[in-house]
Amino acid sequence: MGNLMERLRRIPLAWQIGLLALAILLPLPLNDYYRAVLWRTGIYAILGLSLNIIVGYAGLFQLGHAAFYALGAYTSALLNLHFHIPLVLTWPVSILVAALFGYLISRPILHLRGDYLCIVTIAFGEVVRLALVNNIFGITGGANGLSGIDQTVLFGLTLRTPLHHYYLVLFFLVLTLFAVRRLENSRLGRAWMYVREDETAAEAMGIDTTWAKLLAFVLGSGWAGLAGALYVARIPVVSPDLARFIESVVMFCIVVLGGTGSIPGVFVGTLGMITLPEIFRFLKTWRDAWMGVAMVAMMIARPEGLWPSRRIRMEIRGEEEEAPPVPKPPVGIPQAPLDDLEESDPGESDLSGEVEELYTEEAYLRELLGESGQEGSEESTP
Amino acid sequence: MLRKVLLLALAAVLVLPLFAGCKPKEAAPIKIGVELPLTGDYAYEGQGMLKSIQLLVDQTNEAGGLLGRKIELVVEDDAGDAGQASQVAQKLVDAGVIAVIGAYNSSATEPASVIYNQAGILHITPSSTATRLTEKGFQRFFRVCFLDDRQGLFAAKFMKEVLGAQKIGILHDNSTYAQGLAEHTKRYAEQLGMNVAFYDAINPADKDFTPTLTRIGGAGLDAIYFTGYHAQGGLLLKQSADLGLKLQWVMGNACNNPELIQIAGVENAAGTYVTTEPLPKDVNVPEAKKYVEDFKARYGEEPASVWWMMAAEAFNVIRYAIEQTKSTDPKVLAEFLHQAKNINGITGPILGWDEKGDRLGTIHVAYVISDKGEFILNPQQPSP
Amino acid sequence: MQQLLQQLINGITIGSFYALVALGYTMVYGVLKLINFAHGDLFMWGAYIGLTGLSLLATLLGGGGPVSIFPVAVIVMVTIALIGVLIERIAYRPLRSAGRLAPVISALGAAFILESLARNIYGASWKTYPTGLVPAGRVALLGGVRISIMQVLVLAVSFLLMALLYLFVYRTRIGTAMRAVSLDHEVSRLMGIDVDRIIATVFLIGPGLGGLAGMIVALYYGSFDFTLGWIFGLKAFISAILGGIGNIPGAMLGGMILGIIETLGAGYVSPQWKDVIAYVILILILIFRPTGLLGERVAEKL
Repeated sequence: MGNLMERLRRIPLAWQIGLLALAILLPLPLNDYYRAVLWRTGIYAILGLSLNIIVGYAGLFQLGHAAFYALGAYTSALLNLHFHIPLVLTWPVSILVAALFGYLISRPILHLRGDYLCIVTIAFGEVVRLALVNNIFGITGGANGLSGIDQTVLFGLTLRTPLHHYYLVLFFLVLTLFAVRRLENSRLGRAWMYVREDETAAEAMGIDTTWAKLLAFVLGSGWAGLAGALYVARIPVVSPDLARFIESVVMFCIVVLGGTGSIPGVFVGTLGMITLPEIFRFLKTWRDAWMGVAMVAMMIARPEGLWPSRRIRMEIRGEEEEAPPVPKPPVGIPQAPLDDLEESDPGESDLSGEVEELYTEEAYLRELLGESGQEGSEESTP
Repeated sequence: MLRKVLLLALAAVLVLPLFAGCKPKEAAPIKIGVELPLTGDYAYEGQGMLKSIQLLVDQTNEAGGLLGRKIELVVEDDAGDAGQASQVAQKLVDAGVIAVIGAYNSSATEPASVIYNQAGILHITPSSTATRLTEKGFQRFFRVCFLDDRQGLFAAKFMKEVLGAQKIGILHDNSTYAQGLAEHTKRYAEQLGMNVAFYDAINPADKDFTPTLTRIGGAGLDAIYFTGYHAQGGLLLKQSADLGLKLQWVMGNACNNPELIQIAGVENAAGTYVTTEPLPKDVNVPEAKKYVEDFKARYGEEPASVWWMMAAEAFNVIRYAIEQTKSTDPKVLAEFLHQAKNINGITGPILGWDEKGDRLGTIHVAYVISDKGEFILNPQQPSP
Repeated sequence: MQQLLQQLINGITIGSFYALVALGYTMVYGVLKLINFAHGDLFMWGAYIGLTGLSLLATLLGGGGPVSIFPVAVIVMVTIALIGVLIERIAYRPLRSAGRLAPVISALGAAFILESLARNIYGASWKTYPTGLVPAGRVALLGGVRISIMQVLVLAVSFLLMALLYLFVYRTRIGTAMRAVSLDHEVSRLMGIDVDRIIATVFLIGPGLGGLAGMIVALYYGSFDFTLGWIFGLKAFISAILGGIGNIPGAMLGGMILGIIETLGAGYVSPQWKDVIAYVILILILIFRPTGLLGERVAEKL
């Protein structure tokens, strides 16, 4: 992700301050509805950035992210309702609970790859939603959810208006941005990149791939929990709807539409999936059809996303411009990922090095997902 | 200071296109907001309710409007989702509506009601029956539907007194409404000394309920009360007959719908009881009959659900209040409604509202489905 | 005991529907390694087209009785197959070399469109099929266990379709080509196989069968609405994975097992927890046997 850092670094400091100033001033002339829209945009941007850690950096399919969002929201709500803990103090707990669940869930399934992981995460998301609907342990309030949650009080100030909440979310969004940029450039961030590009090579280099993937899940899930808590800070009702599959799909689309692994991409994706559909409310019952058309069209036009990280764009478009800073595995380790050591199908590995077209297709596929061939899931069991 | 103003002005110019909706008012129609699930899982109810409201609004406008002004509906879709509900609530407030009809489900109504309350708008929910909604002390929040808890009491009494049931089962579908009704019924049934031997939920997205039914069939129940919707109710009746089970079904008011019989088949539906508000045909008020006839004439179908009628009722109440007070001030309207008595409602006479905004009285009755596939008033009703 | 037997019959019926829908998933996944999220909605469209066809035929010919099911079934299969091919052509083909994420989004987008179209065209209300089209009788087996004639018919039709599909894939030239494509697009192309055409064929057969399944489901249960596709789609996909994705007998087996698990879960644990049970079992199977139940035995996957 170094190149992305570069790109961000290329954005001069003045610009960054300018963007921040714009974000602060933007809601002032708007009415409360558009301030609420901005608030929602902020929430989903945080969700997108958190999912981007899992999908974008570590290359893990996660289509059940909304479950962690819901877990964070319920944690905050339950602590406030039963123990009258001020909402502000519940936020760290929300993060921890969501992160803990992220750990418990991902631990046994990390060896799964690609679509299998995708299905397991969908199933997990549904389990969480159904458990909430079925009023598990008698505490979640069933389909009605929970209500009667306090208003947020921050340093003696009660947050009431959409504007207050927008600034609260903006604060955490900036914090998130700062954190993910640091993460990208850290040892861990580079480890994720290795894992995403070629798991086998990463492992050969001494990276504890399981640990790296686990951390991606835990961090991403925990941060989604924070988004859930921020939701509760404004909306005093939580219901199992938060964990609906469609929510997970929206979050997934935010990451992919903008460009996997790209921070500006997450913002573009959020604009596309959350802000624009608000403006398209006049389409009424055709709104979701329109969203579908946009999703298909966008993917055909720009499969790498609207504002992709350069590396992924090259993989998809096969552009040969300046060599990307690919992590070069040491000599002796097969060049990723053209012929995997564990490739089980001789016919394919013979060819795959030679046919350029196949390279772009298969190579990207495996690079992105750490997929080691069609039978990947078989030999992936540790 | 000047610079700040200039900056604001600049920003305002930049975002001006976003305000396309905020045109200056000419003859100033009376704006009434509608917040309903037009997409998502509850779209069926939401769209039907909107049709109901639209029908009455058009009639009112054809008759010259109210106070010489036209009614303009501002319709927003909350998809039944709490987050979107607060969003569109804000939007309706910003659009300058004086009153809002909605939302459909309690979990969407709740966050929206907070926003309407802050904005001082008259808020009437046609269908959200959760008890807690009216316990926030909002002075301008009303409902035209009855609380779950009244129907629960009625159903429990009916099963005990009329059917003589001792061991009963209760089945809901995990929707907010059905679950609420099921809980209240269970509570009252136990208070009345009945044994609730089966209490569980189906997933309404399923089509096949034979596993659940086979289980219920083995439980030896005197009666089974289903609190969910007619589409699943019909399938339950059909499939329990297919399995050869002899169950005494009692269903809640969401099953008060001719489609129940169509889905189940007449022979399978006959003998089923339904606890509900009286059907329009049994409500001896001209308003109800006229509403049903007009609805059929315009849309070519019967108003299929109680909630569609309730939505019409919500508009009816607002219209009545505006006519009586000659005012469109939400404060005046709300104060008027708090002391209004005996309004000619579409769902029967409206006795009034208590201080919390809950509709007074109860009008539930038990129907039985005849061999011809008609809902007829059951001759025996429980003690009031 | 009687209850258990009855529950097994219930489960097998539900399972056979899952299996029918699972076939489409499994075939498409076989050749494209793509979860065709639109498949559930194509299935739902089968129910709607069937409804339109039956009502049209009824108005044109004045009722048609049970016989009218057959021409309508053909219309449904053809229409849904064409829609399937269209979706492949527009939404999937341009993305074949675009990695794995982009097609997933595209597929989800296609699913949104199909569902929204159905809701806007047919309305959000429940639709009922004309009654009297299917035999309503039921047979009491020993000990009070009941099986309806329709259940027997559904099972027979499912097995027949499954067998035909199996023969097609394993005994015909096109079937062989499909299996080759599922192994490796490039080698297949070198072998002179028109890969695009084969994939298009898969998108004819999979959605065609899915559409037919939609109509059968609607005939069997008598009513449905626009949300039909999602739950059946998800369950069917779980079936396909359970049995070993890409494997035709696996889809059948997976469907049956899922149907029975669900039934027993609802019958002996709790109806509202049955889906949770099904998902948990899916997760466990994927953790311990990611290739599914029949995934290993069959070396090549369709």
